Amino acid sequence: MRNRLGIRFLVLTLAAVFVLTATVITLVAQQGQANTPATGQGSGGGRGRGAGASNPLLSQPAPRLPDGTVNLGRVPGELGIWQLPYIQNMGSRQYVVGAPPAPARGDGAGRGRGAGGGAAGGGQIGGGEGGGPGGGQRGGAPSEPWVPFQPWAAAVYNYNSLNNSKYDPEGYCLPPGGPRLYATPYPMEIIQQPELKRIIMIFEGGTHVWREIHMDGRQHPKSETIKGETWLGHSVGHWEGDTLVVDIVGFNEGTWVDYYGHPHTTQLHVVEKFTRPNKGTLHYEAMFDDPGAYTKPWSVAWDIPWNASGELQEYICQENNSYLNRLTDDFGQPVISNR
Amino acid sequence: MKSRVLAVLVAAVALSASAVPVFAHHSFAAEFDTAKPVNLTGVVTKVEWMNPHTYFYVDVKDAQSGKVTNWACEMGSPNGLTRQGWTRNTLKVGMVVSLEGTQAKDGTKRANARNVTVDGKKLGAASSEGVTP
Repeated sequence: MRNRLGIRFLVLTLAAVFVLTATVITLVAQQGQANTPATGQGSGGGRGRGAGASNPLLSQPAPRLPDGTVNLGRVPGELGIWQLPYIQNMGSRQYVVGAPPAPARGDGAGRGRGAGGGAAGGGQIGGGEGGGPGGGQRGGAPSEPWVPFQPWAAAVYNYNSLNNSKYDPEGYCLPPGGPRLYATPYPMEIIQQPELKRIIMIFEGGTHVWREIHMDGRQHPKSETIKGETWLGHSVGHWEGDTLVVDIVGFNEGTWVDYYGHPHTTQLHVVEKFTRPNKGTLHYEAMFDDPGAYTKPWSVAWDIPWNASGELQEYICQENNSYLNRLTDDFGQPVISNR
Repeated sequence: MKSRVLAVLVAAVALSASAVPVFAHHSFAAEFDTAKPVNLTGVVTKVEWMNPHTYFYVDVKDAQSGKVTNWACEMGSPNGLTRQGWTRNTLKVGMVVSLEGTQAKDGTKRANARNVTVDGKKLGAASSEGVTP
């Protein structure tokens, strides 16, 4: 009898460990939305426990620059980097302002669960990044009815889903363009230079890229001069209170929206919002406005935790990318011919 | 009993909290087959400490036939590995190591290593498969 009880206890404990582990993994990815109301269901409710409760940075205010602007980077005398989460499917991070929290969807691994309650009291819908890291059991466009695909974009997305993102440009060491920069799980630093009226963001991963956000009040160049021109687009930013708002246009079509393969066109226009609700959290929101691929704009949001002891390291994706040399097309032929 | 379970629980939580997400540089699912897990032990024959994936090669001897097969094993990039305790000298030619990983879909002797045991120490391999070491 005693033994049986013990086994039952063990099983319960193991289940608890699984749930806790899943929660913590989600927390690591979305750590510290402490300042937004946790009205969501599922993992959202557990945000105050676990890793969150033990991280003192989450109860410290965001640092500020001498001129009073929120400091999105390090403070003098300290280290630190933003530990970008691994978000494979932006469709699972869709955020709709004003929408009620959606019911939880199948999400065995505990990732991508809608965090609920965003900054403006909207609902995060979606959830379920398939069978876990690396894909598997992916449903394509039919599994994401909330993503406003145009028919051709749905077809492309289905194809990328069927072949497990075999042709993902990031696998070719091409850079992530737009919001995927913040979903590629390597560290990132933000360097504000108010005296130069610009903000620089340095990304260790992807292809070791950086981006410059013009803060000098300039406009985007005329659309015909930059349309389809660049991988990362042309970024102009301004502060709205403590929120950094960045407007990007000028993307080429070389990148995917995410690892899962949501497509975009040169008409893509992104509006990003960066806030630092506390010292340990960067809250990121992005709106995809691409009338070439989607019937209406859609938005995504997530939190990025601060790693107070982290520093950037070197990462040169192009060095020995043998994946590309092994990659074969749908007819079994090498994508890169043998040299 | 209770305290041991508690210890396991705490360890599990600590482990997942400290797991640094690693970069799936390429499509793991397109190249490796999660239905083909492999556990290999062999002698290191070559090490390529390189971006975007470090590779090492091991001679694995079949227990029955005695036949030796050389496996190519993929790990993460040097920056990810460094954060999990590796240096470029952790693996040396001639060492006996074991690994847990996943075999290539095409059935060739290639594997994505999830972790590698070197000198009795199990190290996470910054694999693109997931966050577990």
